[in-house]
Order: sequence, then C-alpha cells, then structure tokens
Amino acid sequence: MAMNERFACQGYRSWSARPETIARFEPTRRGVLVALGLGTVSWLGARSAFSQLVVAPNRREQPTLVVVFLRGGMDGLNVVVPYGDDDYHRLRPNLALRKSQVLDLDGTFGLHPKLAPLFPFFREGSMAIVHAVGSGDQTRSHFEAMAAMERGLFTDSDALTSGWLARYLRASPGTSSSPLRAVAFGPVLPDSLRGATQATAIASLDDYRLTEGNGKLTRDAFAENLRRLYGRRKDEVSLAGLETLNVLDALHSLEPSRRQQGGPYPETAFGDAMRQCATLLKAEVGVEAACLDMGGWDTHVYQGSVEGWQAGLLDELARSLAAFLADLGPRMKRTTIVVMTEFGRRVKENEGLGTDHGRGSALFALGSGVQGGKLYVDWPGLGPDALEGPGDLRVTTDYRNVLWSAVSASLGYAGLDEAFPGLRPEPHPALAKA
Amino acid sequence: MEITRREWLGAAAGAALALGGCEIPRPFATSRVPERLEPPDEADAPAIRLLNRTGFGAPADEVATVERIGRDAWVALQLKARQDEPLDLTLRLRRLESLQYEGFNTSDFKEQQLLDELQQAALLRAVHSPNQLRERMVDFWSNHFSIYVRKANTRMLKAADDHRVIRAHALGRFPDLLWASAQSPAMLLYLDNQANTKRAPNENYARELLELHALGVDGGYTQQDVMEVARCFTGWTVENRPPLTQLSQGDFDVRKLRARGRFRFDPDQHDDGAKRVLGHTIPAGQGEGDARQVVDILAKHPSCARFIARKLCRAFVGAADAPLVERVAASYTKTGGDIKAMLETLLLSDDLLEGPPILKRPFDYVASALRCTYAETDGRAVGEHLRKMGQPLNEWPMPDGYPDGTSEWTGSLLARWNFAAALATDQIRGTRIVFDRLGKSMEGSSDWDRLVCGRSLGLSGNDPAELVALSLCSPEFQWR
Repeated sequence: MAMNERFACQGYRSWSARPETIARFEPTRRGVLVALGLGTVSWLGARSAFSQLVVAPNRREQPTLVVVFLRGGMDGLNVVVPYGDDDYHRLRPNLALRKSQVLDLDGTFGLHPKLAPLFPFFREGSMAIVHAVGSGDQTRSHFEAMAAMERGLFTDSDALTSGWLARYLRASPGTSSSPLRAVAFGPVLPDSLRGATQATAIASLDDYRLTEGNGKLTRDAFAENLRRLYGRRKDEVSLAGLETLNVLDALHSLEPSRRQQGGPYPETAFGDAMRQCATLLKAEVGVEAACLDMGGWDTHVYQGSVEGWQAGLLDELARSLAAFLADLGPRMKRTTIVVMTEFGRRVKENEGLGTDHGRGSALFALGSGVQGGKLYVDWPGLGPDALEGPGDLRVTTDYRNVLWSAVSASLGYAGLDEAFPGLRPEPHPALAKA
Repeated sequence: MEITRREWLGAAAGAALALGGCEIPRPFATSRVPERLEPPDEADAPAIRLLNRTGFGAPADEVATVERIGRDAWVALQLKARQDEPLDLTLRLRRLESLQYEGFNTSDFKEQQLLDELQQAALLRAVHSPNQLRERMVDFWSNHFSIYVRKANTRMLKAADDHRVIRAHALGRFPDLLWASAQSPAMLLYLDNQANTKRAPNENYARELLELHALGVDGGYTQQDVMEVARCFTGWTVENRPPLTQLSQGDFDVRKLRARGRFRFDPDQHDDGAKRVLGHTIPAGQGEGDARQVVDILAKHPSCARFIARKLCRAFVGAADAPLVERVAASYTKTGGDIKAMLETLLLSDDLLEGPPILKRPFDYVASALRCTYAETDGRAVGEHLRKMGQPLNEWPMPDGYPDGTSEWTGSLLARWNFAAALATDQIRGTRIVFDRLGKSMEGSSDWDRLVCGRSLGLSGNDPAELVALSLCSPEFQWR
C-alpha cells in the first residue's frame, strides 16, 4: 500500500471521476475522424438531428478553452521550485528540491522533474508558467477559495452564485445552440459551469447512451417518449433533459476514431478524462469550453519531494497533458489549456512532512495564444517580511487576469465583463494573442 | 456493537433459516401494495409533498395513510420514530457481514465490500424503514458530517460512525451529535487529526468543525480561532495507531492496526497551554477537557443555531427565508439544540407545502423509485447506478457532503433514465418490480403513471414496463 493511502490527507484524490467508473473509450466505428484531423469534414451520412447541430461552417474552426482544475491546493513551491531562494531551503529542510534535482527554467526557478514530459513544450514556446498567482481569498478554505475562482471573483461572495464559465457562455454569442458548448468530464458539473444551460457532465463517452429495455423499450421509441415528456415545460430539469437528448443524438452520430495519435495516456481517471476530451475536440461537435478536475493535491502529510505523493500526481498530470497535446495534433492550434489550483501551500513544511493551506501557487498555460517558453513571476520572496498571514507566499498576480487573457486569446472578448464582474482587466503577457 | 465471530455466525444462521435460504429473500411488505389505486385529488397533493419532503418518495399506500390521519399525526408519528423495524429488514441487514464488526476488526474485508455494504444498508433502510423521517435525517447528517471512505482507513471506521454518531443522534440533540462526531475515529482520520500534535498543529479538522459542522463560513470566527481550536484538539487521535515516525514506505502492515480503531486521547501530544477561542478563555492544563469546552462554545454560539436551522430549511423547504430560519433557530436555542423540536417547527409550518420544488439527489431518486414501484431489492446492484448518477454513498471527497442544488445534478439525467429503464425491464440483478402483484391493484387500468407519480403524465401505450419506466423518467418524478 502506498504511503499516502494510510494516514495522509487523500481527500481530494478522486475529486471527479473515479477510476472504476471510467470505461475505456473503445471506438467501434471508424471513418470521419481521420478526415477531421485534416480539417476537411464531411457530414454526409450524419443523422438528421446531428446535422442540424452541425451546420455552421465556422464550427470546424471552433476554438476551445480547456480548464484543468487541480483540487485540494497544489503546492506551487515544490512544482515551480525557487531553488535559488535561501529561505525556501531554510523553511523546507525535508521537502525542498535542490538545484540539481529540478529542470532549470531561468537560473532561479526550476520545474519539478516529474514535469519533464511538459518541458519540450515549454522550450518550444507553447507552454508558459505563471507563479505567485491566486485569488484574494484569505479564509484558506478549499471551498471558499474554489468558490471564488469558479465564480470568477477575487474573493468569494454569496451574492453571485453562478460560475464564471456559465456566465461567459450565456453572454457570448457562441457558434451555435450546441448542447456541448461546455463539457465537464465527471459525474457532476463543476461550479464554474453552475448556471450554464448548455453544459453537460459526461462521465464516460462509452456509457453515454440510452439503455434498451429487453425488447420492451427500443432506443428510438424511448428517446421519442422522453422528448415528449421533457418538451412540455421550461423548468430547469425539462430543459436539461432536452439538452441531454440533443447530446445523445450528437454522440450517436459520431464516428469514433480507432487511431490515437498521442502517446499512451496514464490509465487513471484523469488520463481517461483527457483522452475523452481529445476525442470530443477532434470530433468538432462545437465544444467551446471543457472542464477537467484532478484531485488529490491536499498534501497535509507525507507530501514527498522528488518522489512521493505529490510527485506521483505531477507525473500523472504531465503524462496526461503531454499525451493530450500529441493526440490533438493540428487541433492544438485552436486549443488553449489553463491548469490552475485554488491556492498554494504554507512555505514552512509541517511536522507531518507535509504542508498546510496557503496562498499563492503556480499556473500553467499551454497551446493557442500562449506566449510560452517563459516563467512569468513578480516574486515577492520568502523572507520573514515577505510572507503573508501564517507564513504564505503572497499573491502578486490576480488569477482573473490570466483567465481573462486566456479566454480573450481563445474564444474572444464578448461576455468577458459578465464572466469577471468588477475586474479591470490587465491583459497578462503570458496569453497575449500574437 | 462488538460482535464476535461466533455470534455473527449464529445470527447469520438464524437469518438464513428465516429467509429459507433463497437467494432473494421473500417479498417485503407484500401487504403494502395498495389494494386499489385511488386517483389523487390534484397534481401537487399536500400528502404527496409531505411524504416527498419527510421521507423517500410518496408510495400510493402511504399517501392514503397521510390523507386519512392528517399531517400533524403523521409528523408526530415520524418524530417519535418508535415504529418497529420490519423483521425482514433486520434480517437483511444481518446478512451484510462486514457491518457486524466494528473498527479495524473489519480489516479482513476488501475495500469494495465495506463500501458496498455500507451503501446497501443505507438503501435498504431508506426503502424499507417505516421511520422515513429518521432515515432522511440520517441522510442529512451523513452529508453534514460527510466522511470520504476512500481516504486512509476510514472505510473500516465509517460503519461505527454511522451507528454511534449519525444514527444514534439523528433525532437527538445537536450538541450530542457534534460531540459524538468530534470523537469519531473515522472523522478524526478523515480530517487528519491524527497528525494534529502540540509541536505541529494540523488545522484540517478544526477548520471544518467551525466552517462545516458548527458555525458556517460566515459564523464569525477568524483564522486565529481555527488555529486555537486546532491546538485544543491536539492529541485527539485513533487508538493503537503506530507512531507516524515509525512508519515508512513499504513496511506498512495493516495488522498493526488490528482489533482497534477507537477514539484515543494522547496527553503527550496535547498542547496544554491556555487558548482563546471565539472570545472565550480556555485555561491551561485542562487536557482532554479543552475539546469539550470548544464543542460547548460552538453548540451554544448563536451562529450555530442559525447555521443548522438554515441548512434544515434548505433540505426540507427548499429555501431558507429569514423568518422561518429564525423560528427554527429559536427552537434550537430554546431547547438546547433539540433536533426534533427544530423539525417540528419546520414540518408543521405551511412553508413546507409552499416552498419551491427540490430536485431529488440520486440516492433520493433511487430510493423513491424503488418505494413507489414496491420493488423488491437487495440493494446491491443498484449501487452501480448510483455511481453513474454521481452519488455513490460516502464517496464525496470533500467534507461538505453531496451538493443539494439543482444544477449540480441536471447533467446526469441520462443515468436516471437508464436506471428507470433497467428497473422496469428487470435488468438489475437482485432488484425487480413484481408487475403481476402490482397489476392487481390497477384493476385493468393502465394508469401506471398515477401509481408511480401520483398524477397523470399523458403517456400512451399499454405495456406496464414501458409506462413505469417513463413515469420514473419523467421530469415530474425528479422533483420532490
């Protein structure tokens, strides 16, 4: 049994999808996606409901924002390591990574070695890193900090209950009425999509179909009856039901590719979610935003350093992202990925060889619109006077400016005011569109 | 609940005998199937609303009972919760072997069996217990004091938490519940309190105690209070745990944890200095008494009464309007946190009937579907459907419990439809609807929607399985 399965805080490990629920996506039909990869799509032969969904020619050029949320509070200091900072080594006698152990970024900071699969993307300029980034949340509560970020606020407020992506989708014209404008890979929608009417939670593409009823209910009759039942009213459930039926139509018409261009994804819930995300993006069904969660970052005890709990998570994250980028191929030109977390962790390690909830952490941006190959940081330092509250890395970059820039670089400006109310945006250089 | 292996075998043999050794035990409560179906007066009949809010669904025979005896009598009966557990339910629960042991005595069982049997027990009780309000409160508190059973060894300790904390106090006094939870090994392990020591306080439990269990995030505490409460709980741990320092990767042996898993106070790890929590001084040298004082301070805090009242209002009424919250909170304050008193205020108010619709969570949906179709179930294969709907019990990783809003759950309607289709067409092992028996109450009519939903849905067709499936799929059946 691995160390962290004993007493360690593993609370966020399986935030969204659970490994045993994720069926492999085994494509059974072939054809269209091969053509999709080349950008020459023919929807001939698609069923009528689907062709209604996919008429706009610009759909094929749909850019997509992918938001990966690392739940539990990733310790940014051991991921983008300030190895040149003496205070870092002083405060983390057991957990600190040394210069010789990291992938050097700029002579002061280095990447955790388990992120090596991403390092080529950094060097070729398609990956940027932002450090000391975060929200204004002072409660150091997972829920408050996540609520702030998922609602698009500096600090959480109950006055605004909808998610930032939901508001963005509602305010921006989008390309269609696709029920798949936003997709979350998991059993439930994340808060960032709370209030979205065109968002769908998909636990597994394979499982996403209607059951046939032992000869009593044929699938078509079942769907037709459901459409009647759900078409009578306009309550939240009725609308969601109709959208679900539209998604079913769209997915049934989809010819899954047997080919997987990317390297193998890790056989984990997160790896599977990334794989399915790539499949949907390559199918060009109008996905504007995709949300993925990866849990397990709440490393209160036995965090490890070069190896150990957090290193294992970084390994899974890096290999999943690298496989995703390779899998997307040319589709990556229209895909922007942001990898974020609700907060960083206390600078001083604790007695349990872990770290407690803190403030600033690190963030990655990859893909379209990213001014990569660079670490963007206004380093506040880790000296006694530089730390905040009980001893935390100060936040010098407002995460909202990064998200604002990511959206404007990928999807466009319309709707951004609604997504981040009260923000006076300062476009972040990591995502200024070239 | 410490039962020896021999006692268990005795009980199991008795159960097997009583059940006649058949794989699916004999039908439950056959007599409950209504003799004849009365058409309900209107779509949102008060009896249906009351049953949907206080229990798991509104089966036709119970609607008739409520209409006969009236709301007040029904609520009084449910608050007493003295009705006997049916013998069949008792025997079926006895068949869940891992639940006959407690604490690390369950370490012989595979993880999945422990999780499955916890879920099965909850489902069997929700479907078959006559004390529906009590079962709903168990669901409520299980989420309020949520424990993620895939973390550390909590899966071995959750059954004891369910028995000694949640069920023991579901309709008792909130301060007792809070205190029991604070000593629950599963909770202490889940929220890392075994790592909370005087040299290095760990804030995890303290923070959630304040934020999620007692006061609410706006309850008027500060980061300083969190740190002080953490100090008060230093040394609160789980019995017979080997010192963390003696463990290293690879040498872990579950046998070290055997035969234990009870609460333990470790005075050597307790910070015995003076503390200050929410304006109260906690004097030095109290040892284990620090935590007792903290729980007393919290349970008497005005924020606590309001926080619990607000949550109860949301769960039962679907809204937390200030006047009702204040009345429920006043009941808390007047009675020192009596849960029944709060529920009485809540359930006898007209707000209950007037509140907005509440979307059934998957557990609600499944339990009510099984009840309203008088299905036979062993509760086992149903678990896979709950997982697909997004609510495998005790597996919400966050300490705030499964969400209770609408939009969180509308993304998984497909899984509900597929459950309904599988249930109606006999595709769930160990669970089935006995149409022949149900059909007798229909007297040749095909108003299956009336039987299941209590109203007409305008369905066409005459195949009972199809009509029942669609009734369970309907938007109307998703609300409560």
